[in-house]
Amino acid sequence: MLAARASSRNVQRIARSFATVIDTTGVKVAAVDHNQPTSSVTVLVKAGSRFEPKEGVANALKNFAFKSTTGRSAIGTVRESELYGGVLYSTLGREHLALTAEFLREDAPYFVDVLSSFVTSAKFTRHEFEEYVAPLVASDTEAATHDPATRAIEVAHGLAFRNGLGQSLFAPEHNELTVADIKSYAASAFSKGNIAVIGTGIDPATLTGLVEKAFEKASSNSSPSAPASKYFGGETRLAGNGGPQTVFIGFGTTGAPSSELAALSAHLSPTPSVKWSKGLSPFSSLPEGTSVQPVYLPYSDATLFGLLEAGKAAVAALKAAAQGIKAEELKSAVAKAKFAAAANVDTREGLINALGSKIFGGAEASVESTLSSLDAVNAAAFSKAAASLLSAKPTYVTVGESSLPYADELGL
Amino acid sequence: MFGPLGATLAPYVQSSRTLSKWITPVAHWYANASGWRKYGFKYDDLLVEENPQVQRALGRLTPAEKFDRAYRLKRASQQSVLHAPLPQSQWTPESEDVRYLKPPVVDVMKEEAERFKWDNAIVERK
Repeated sequence: MLAARASSRNVQRIARSFATVIDTTGVKVAAVDHNQPTSSVTVLVKAGSRFEPKEGVANALKNFAFKSTTGRSAIGTVRESELYGGVLYSTLGREHLALTAEFLREDAPYFVDVLSSFVTSAKFTRHEFEEYVAPLVASDTEAATHDPATRAIEVAHGLAFRNGLGQSLFAPEHNELTVADIKSYAASAFSKGNIAVIGTGIDPATLTGLVEKAFEKASSNSSPSAPASKYFGGETRLAGNGGPQTVFIGFGTTGAPSSELAALSAHLSPTPSVKWSKGLSPFSSLPEGTSVQPVYLPYSDATLFGLLEAGKAAVAALKAAAQGIKAEELKSAVAKAKFAAAANVDTREGLINALGSKIFGGAEASVESTLSSLDAVNAAAFSKAAASLLSAKPTYVTVGESSLPYADELGL
Repeated sequence: MFGPLGATLAPYVQSSRTLSKWITPVAHWYANASGWRKYGFKYDDLLVEENPQVQRALGRLTPAEKFDRAYRLKRASQQSVLHAPLPQSQWTPESEDVRYLKPPVVDVMKEEAERFKWDNAIVERK
């Protein structure tokens, strides 16, 4: 009887896609347990750069993570986590701020407490900001200026969406951030409706229990909101700070991300599936030493699709895709996109990304809906999506020498 | 006991009502007689700053506090050159003679003590 029960539970687990979102006292919780030896818990807050009231506040809040709280000092958090053998980190996106802890299974209560205490009772002291956080904010900005691809994509977001999604992930080099700005941003962002907790390798019931207790004291006031995204587009040229010459051609759409664009990205991706092969992408015939990287960045209400290190060949390939695509090419593109979406869920970060985009919206966060929508892509819809991309004003950014081409020279 | 703030009996005196009743007037007289207020100083300006804890604490003052401190130090050294205290209108009133530097110094020392505790923690398996 015991065996029968166990097997029925397994069947249930397989049938239940991969995570059900539970709403505990206003905080959304989702957990997946594949019996891994380690667990991770991510507190996802809708406090990305698109919601920030002042440039760089979101980045500063990210770097403030795990500093002193009323219950624990910054050094206490670090040393105690080291004794438990856990890892703490925070990452910032345009939509979400993610505070993550990775740890051994039995230490979940401690790490959930560390994460929740930052959300509910961080002190945000001025000296910590000046001594620890401000240098980190500055080094984030510094690192970004030395990576042409990051710079190009940052500027492209600004051109494409102006405010909201267009706001940079990094603080300006000479900023006037104060600890009061960060404190008030945190106070408005860290409210119950704005927080979701995602666990991997942890039993959903355990996580729900811990979260319920830990986030009891979180405030439930209104959270910051950003206006709906609008696509603008434009052209700009930046001087390079070393690094490769970079050209970014981007196109934006508003509305929920469509699976046609995911398929288009897979179609154009030059990454071969087999070693020593050049792949089947339209870019596989490019000369040695050059590459084109499709960039597909879906957000909740807009998508930025682009080609990095692009040139004439990239524009030609996009135009060809808008003209029409062969059935077998579409089939392989869809298969590639499906594999990418499914394989993404295998890794911890990919799973958190996949869940994060859905957890605030609905009750069911599964990869199946993504896969089935990719299955529904047909050749007509595919070329229509590509054509509608091309019909809008492109976002064109160059980082490097002045000899890099202008948009009209590439036929845009 | 030999931290940057020096040894003090103040908490003991303050804890006893009789003692503080007797000693407080003497303390006020002594503070005025010591003469730092005549040079526009606050008591914490006299704190020995040549040690890492106080240096760190000085870095944590607000810009306004840093500016005022530098101003008091300069004004007092000018009066020292003149061998004369300030005119009485510019003496530090007792109400303004607050311990602005003590709280950050105490914070720094607490942090150092905590770091020492974690550096020397012995982990035991439960």
